[in-house]
Amino acid sequence: MTNAKNQKWVYLAAVLLVGAGVGYLLFSGLSQNSVYFLNVSEALAMPAEKLAQARLFGSVAGENIVPDPASLGVSFTAQDKDDPAKTIRVHYRGAVPDTFKAGVEVIVEGTFNPQTREFEASTLLTKCPSKYEKNEKGQMRPPGFNG
Amino acid sequence: MHAICFTALLLSMLTAVGLAALAGIKALKDDFGTVPLLEKGQLALTVVVVVVSVVLVQALAVRDFSYAYVRDYTDTFLPLFYAVTAFWAGQNGSFLFWYLCVAAMGWVMIFTPGYSRMDGRTKVFFWLFLFLVEIFFLYALTGPSNPFLKLDPVPDEGRGLNPLLQNPGMIFHPPLLFLGYAGYTIPCCLALASRLSGNGREWLDLCRNWNIVAWIFLTAGIILGAWWSYMELGWGGYWAWDPVENASLIPWLAGTAFVHTSIVGRTRKTLLRTNVFMACLTLWLCFFATFVVRSGLIDSLHAFGGSRMGVPLLVFMVAGFVLTLYVCLVPRKDDASHLDEFISRPGMLFLASWLLLCLGGIVLLGVIWPVLSSLWSANPVGLDAGFYNRVCLPLFAFLALIMGLCPWFGQKSGINDKLGLGIVLATGIVSAAAVYSLGYTQPLALLATASGLMIVVSVVATFIRTKGLRSFRPAWGAYGVHLGVALMVVGVAFSGPYKVEGEALLTKGQSMNVGGYVVTFQDLRHDHDNPAMDMHEALLTVTRDGRDVGQLTPQKRLYRNFEQSSFAEVSVIPSLGEEVYATLLGFNETGAVSLKVSINPLVNWIWIGGTLSCLIAFLCWRKIEPR
Repeated sequence: MTNAKNQKWVYLAAVLLVGAGVGYLLFSGLSQNSVYFLNVSEALAMPAEKLAQARLFGSVAGENIVPDPASLGVSFTAQDKDDPAKTIRVHYRGAVPDTFKAGVEVIVEGTFNPQTREFEASTLLTKCPSKYEKNEKGQMRPPGFNG
Repeated sequence: MHAICFTALLLSMLTAVGLAALAGIKALKDDFGTVPLLEKGQLALTVVVVVVSVVLVQALAVRDFSYAYVRDYTDTFLPLFYAVTAFWAGQNGSFLFWYLCVAAMGWVMIFTPGYSRMDGRTKVFFWLFLFLVEIFFLYALTGPSNPFLKLDPVPDEGRGLNPLLQNPGMIFHPPLLFLGYAGYTIPCCLALASRLSGNGREWLDLCRNWNIVAWIFLTAGIILGAWWSYMELGWGGYWAWDPVENASLIPWLAGTAFVHTSIVGRTRKTLLRTNVFMACLTLWLCFFATFVVRSGLIDSLHAFGGSRMGVPLLVFMVAGFVLTLYVCLVPRKDDASHLDEFISRPGMLFLASWLLLCLGGIVLLGVIWPVLSSLWSANPVGLDAGFYNRVCLPLFAFLALIMGLCPWFGQKSGINDKLGLGIVLATGIVSAAAVYSLGYTQPLALLATASGLMIVVSVVATFIRTKGLRSFRPAWGAYGVHLGVALMVVGVAFSGPYKVEGEALLTKGQSMNVGGYVVTFQDLRHDHDNPAMDMHEALLTVTRDGRDVGQLTPQKRLYRNFEQSSFAEVSVIPSLGEEVYATLLGFNETGAVSLKVSINPLVNWIWIGGTLSCLIAFLCWRKIEPR
């Protein structure tokens, strides 16, 4: 009986220890790896200093797509999906995905520069065309589009 | 034919509703004479779904574009093989496939020796729950997810299959997942039925083989998905912690925890309620995974967009979960449970299961964080891949450490074989020191590598030092799976932190240096003879320290029907050590190419370990004596 009781304490201690470890990892992960998920219009509405790290959702405006061959990157204007008048200029360094072109929905991760009010992106992702739905013209329909 | 198939599914649903009602009433009345009728009902449902599936496959094979589904996912240019496998390329077809697997497995269940050992009461409850699951699928197939929609007028041409799916890895990834999801239906229904009929723990023996098969399919599906991501998406990695990837990992973690709690349950006659809960949790998480993929709730890189299946899936999953909680929380007299000493094999299995569940919880939390955070934040806050790496990888490494040590602990208490444990601990210390001295100093990778090697030595030493183990086939299966996992652990520990990558714009004759490898761009070829695609191929030669390593031919393809976007075809120089991996990002009029090249150390051990785990797990299969 005492043995069984002792074992309960051992298990409790083990669970607490594991729990504390998991709790610590979770806390550090949540505090250091959180990023705001924002549409272009939401990002514009937020104070720039809060946007140290953000993931921006928008679509690529048709004009002013400037490839930068030196860094393999591209500069473009990201439009809000619902309100195309709201835009942010994005500078991206790195390999541009195959599917990047005017009109596609993109996700960029990086930081908002409060001085220039432009977005410095370290990753650029177009919404993956592995999405199985297609629109009437037989083209890929951007995900999240329910029409 | 469209209307006939639809009507057949509709009649199936009405039949299933009738059978479920009958089973429910008979269960309440303790009347078990209807079991043969319920079995015949299951047979009828299976025959119907097999026939309608054959009709759909036939339509796909001959490209009968009067079916909206055929029009949406094939065209006349598609090879027959890919056309037939388009069966599960879209949502409607994949639900039909999933239901086909559930129905077929329910039918197979009737002929298993395990089924013959069940008493009438358990059988009636079992059919009740299985019919309820089948009703859900039939509702989906006759409502929001109908694969037999007719097009009028009939279009001349289909829209084609997404080129990314035209790859063997992607063709078998979804069906394996669905087979796994379907496989977990049987343990769940059996667990609920056994508990409600007051049948102790025999169900754990009866569903053991089902559990193993479901685990194998799910594991194989996930690994194949990772391999596809590595070979086809061309981003140089295999796991991006994207919500859609995570979705299938969550039920896998729960299912793997269930495998281990069920061992404790069977061998130590304890954890009865826990096991019922785990069996059900795994199945509901399979539905959660589909919900994440299909609902559009979570913004994923490759979410499949809002579909009308979101709400039904959510309702079904929550209802199932509430039922499970109710069934588990109502106490029964045989619930008395005891705990073995913590320092024992059951103790370690218990700890491992907890860790697996914690991991599942963390991944789930990460997936729904953007939704949760909107409760207190005006703008949703998400978590990047760094979150998962930071939180999950230490726990996985700790899990690997336990795996290496566990075989040396006693069945009831203490340490069984001190010498064996000593050998394994020494292996860990020596290998960590050796790896460190080679310059691989990242602490977590060091722990994981040492743990992986400890598992390998542990498995081999256990077979040498334990009498009778070699003649016990399921032991080969169980330890073999862990051996495979060990190889994967080492593969991940190296290919993650020690990957080197570089990007460059090269003209003919120019070279780039990545991690000591010199990659030289020789030529760009253009092939436009293939009617289905237009292809550009870069020829690269790779040398290291002046020695020839091999050639790479990454391609860029433009598929017919998908001219808006080109698709990169990765090229690798396969190696068990450092694999050279190249993607052709683009090229311009002057003939210059932009390339992404990475050196992935030990990455192939992930696929080798994964394949070993899945295949050798079949040895765990144990014959059940019929009653």
